[in-house]
Amino acid sequence: MVDTGHIALILCFIAAVYTALASAWGARSGSHAFTASARNGLLVVAVLYTLAMAAMLYAFMSKDFSLRIVTEHASRDLPAVYAFSALYADKAGSVLFWGWLLSLFAAVLALQKYNSYKQITPCAISILAVILAFFLALVTIVVNVFEENPYPPVDGFGLNPLLQNVGMLIHPPLLYLGFAGFMVVFAFVMAALIVRRPGMEWIGGIRRWTLFAWCVLGIGNLVGMWWSYIELGWGGYWAWDPVENAGLMPWLLGTAFLHSVAMLRKRHYLHTWGLALIIVTFIFVLLSPFITHGGIESPLHGFYASNYPPYILGAIVVTLVGSVVLLYARHRDFGKEDKPLSPISREGAFLLTNVIFLVLVFLIITGVILPRIVEGLGGSEIALERDYFDWSCGPVMLFLVFFMGVCSTLRWRKASLKSIGWNLLYTLFPAVIIAIAVLISGIGNWYALAALVCGFPLFTIMREWLLGTRARRRATGGYYAGAFLRLIGSNRPRYGGFIVHIGIILITLGVIGSSFYGLEGMETLDIGEEMTVGKYELSYDALDMREGSSKVSAVASLSISRDGKLIDTVRPEYNYWFSWMEPFAEVAVRTTPAEDLFVSLSWTSFEPGDESATFRVLVNPLIVWMWVGGGFLLLGGLVAFWPDRKRQSGSEAGVT
Amino acid sequence: MKKRYLIGGIVLVAAVGYLIYMALSSSAIYYVTVSELLDKGSDTYDTNIRVTGKVTEGSIEWDAEKLELGFSVVEGNASLPVIYKGAMPDGFKAGADVMVEGRYHSDRIFRAESILLKCPSKYVPEE
Repeated sequence: MVDTGHIALILCFIAAVYTALASAWGARSGSHAFTASARNGLLVVAVLYTLAMAAMLYAFMSKDFSLRIVTEHASRDLPAVYAFSALYADKAGSVLFWGWLLSLFAAVLALQKYNSYKQITPCAISILAVILAFFLALVTIVVNVFEENPYPPVDGFGLNPLLQNVGMLIHPPLLYLGFAGFMVVFAFVMAALIVRRPGMEWIGGIRRWTLFAWCVLGIGNLVGMWWSYIELGWGGYWAWDPVENAGLMPWLLGTAFLHSVAMLRKRHYLHTWGLALIIVTFIFVLLSPFITHGGIESPLHGFYASNYPPYILGAIVVTLVGSVVLLYARHRDFGKEDKPLSPISREGAFLLTNVIFLVLVFLIITGVILPRIVEGLGGSEIALERDYFDWSCGPVMLFLVFFMGVCSTLRWRKASLKSIGWNLLYTLFPAVIIAIAVLISGIGNWYALAALVCGFPLFTIMREWLLGTRARRRATGGYYAGAFLRLIGSNRPRYGGFIVHIGIILITLGVIGSSFYGLEGMETLDIGEEMTVGKYELSYDALDMREGSSKVSAVASLSISRDGKLIDTVRPEYNYWFSWMEPFAEVAVRTTPAEDLFVSLSWTSFEPGDESATFRVLVNPLIVWMWVGGGFLLLGGLVAFWPDRKRQSGSEAGVT
Repeated sequence: MKKRYLIGGIVLVAAVGYLIYMALSSSAIYYVTVSELLDKGSDTYDTNIRVTGKVTEGSIEWDAEKLELGFSVVEGNASLPVIYKGAMPDGFKAGADVMVEGRYHSDRIFRAESILLKCPSKYVPEE
């Protein structure tokens, strides 16, 4: 089985190289035979790759310790579901997985009808085949993922208990799906530039790929935050660690690009700018493994460095130079720009949003690499704290959220000042009133800011929906609910975007509440003793010891009361893992819309007769709204993504 | 039109520069190894510092009543006693690579405000 996988992977590499050459030749010479052959080549790559993946997963499931990768990340007692987690816990394994997703996407592209993008698709396939060949070289030539142990051990080292969580099962694949999606978009754009399609009508062909990649990457980041919150035991979800930033930056750039795609489709404006954004996004997608594989030292995620960074850096340089030269050579091809009449228009607002997203990414990447540069220049070794990111990026992010209220109502080309005035009266004005009321009531100054920053865009969306629904109902009659659904259906990209904006507003609320108004308490208790955090009294009732095959669990029971009334019981755990020879806390979280009560059993002696235990208790206001916001992100993404029946037969069917 | 872009650009650069400057001045932390810290001695008292090293075998003492974690961090032959107010983070054990952040005092004890742990994604057998 192992040999099958290894051979399949090597053949796959050869097929990818062949596909790249054949499709490039086919696109250049216009030879149908070569184009068709390249298309089949890509399908062969996907099939062989899938075969190799199946062999690898089988090795993990059957605990085949003759493989190095299985020995290092799995053990006999590892549940079968975590075979995937164990695979991407390995550096080469994660690259193998990412490349596999890319091969599937490329196959989807190859299977679609070429009709309206006849020359672009073969060329895009060629670019994807080059990228695939690069990935395959990394997992066959640079590092052999199917490397065998000369002396297979009886048991493996096991998977870090922190990674044995459903969040870690889905967080990496979502990120890789998003990254692979952006790679397809990039390949398509580069192909369109290479084959010189006049005009920009082909841009419609990548809208849904972009949307897919963006949505999945966003959800992936949120799942990572949720995992960090629920599993790592520190009660936070974001530490501005280089590895976290590596996932966030492509998403921010992708967001900017997504807004640019809207502008390129609806208005022929700022072509070069929009296409430059996808180049930058792609570079940051490549930068992500560069950072996580140890290219930039990460204090928190002690992933062991792999020997990939020099190769990835090489790929970054080649892509950057190649794509910038190409874009410059073609920047006159796009046809006449349709300039807006006034900067106070949706184009103007979109451009400003774009610039702010770039500023945000600039601030983050500065924070990531500045310490290394200072060090390189012979300065003292410094580290940038979370404070740097909080105080530089925080205000910019708040401004972006606030600015969503402006963008959505401005008309294309030129907005009338009068209608802006009316909009502000119904949207900004109530937000200001609520903010002032919150300020006076003394609930908290940051909540007042949250009311202003979140209230304004929220009221804007509500007003747009209300006016639209009313107009539709007046035209067609019937129920308001039906009219509202028809309104959403009439322009899904726009109104799906609104739903996403609501998600962002909710996430902002969660971030503000949990960052500024959290409470914390820590005490060591004996059975029967109590501790108080905020309005909550926790009484330590019992400690159970449970012995399993891979760990001993100490499970504490605490009853929670508020205002003297018993409201709930929580059971945090402290698990001693045999394979890891150390304890890990499994927190208990009691979630309500207003706040989470986060209880961690941080220490107990595991000695018979000593049942004293240390508890760390956090109260995190509004945090649940971050995850609800993630749901809105997904819903909005789906609404915008859903195929439009009317357009299906038309020009967009080709690649979307 | 050109002028407008120029002014916009200058405002933007100034704003970004200001943000970075403000954020940097509040949060740069010096990064030293145990031996560097010991060499510098009194120069480093009472400034915010990050120290990296390994947790010494047998040095971990947890005082459950005072909620105080005491241990020492070694790097080569240099050893630094550390006191941290708080529980052991997940994965904290003898031999673990840690990064402690806090202040070094004239009593030659490092008072850590946070412990960051390099959480290995794979287990490396001890040699």
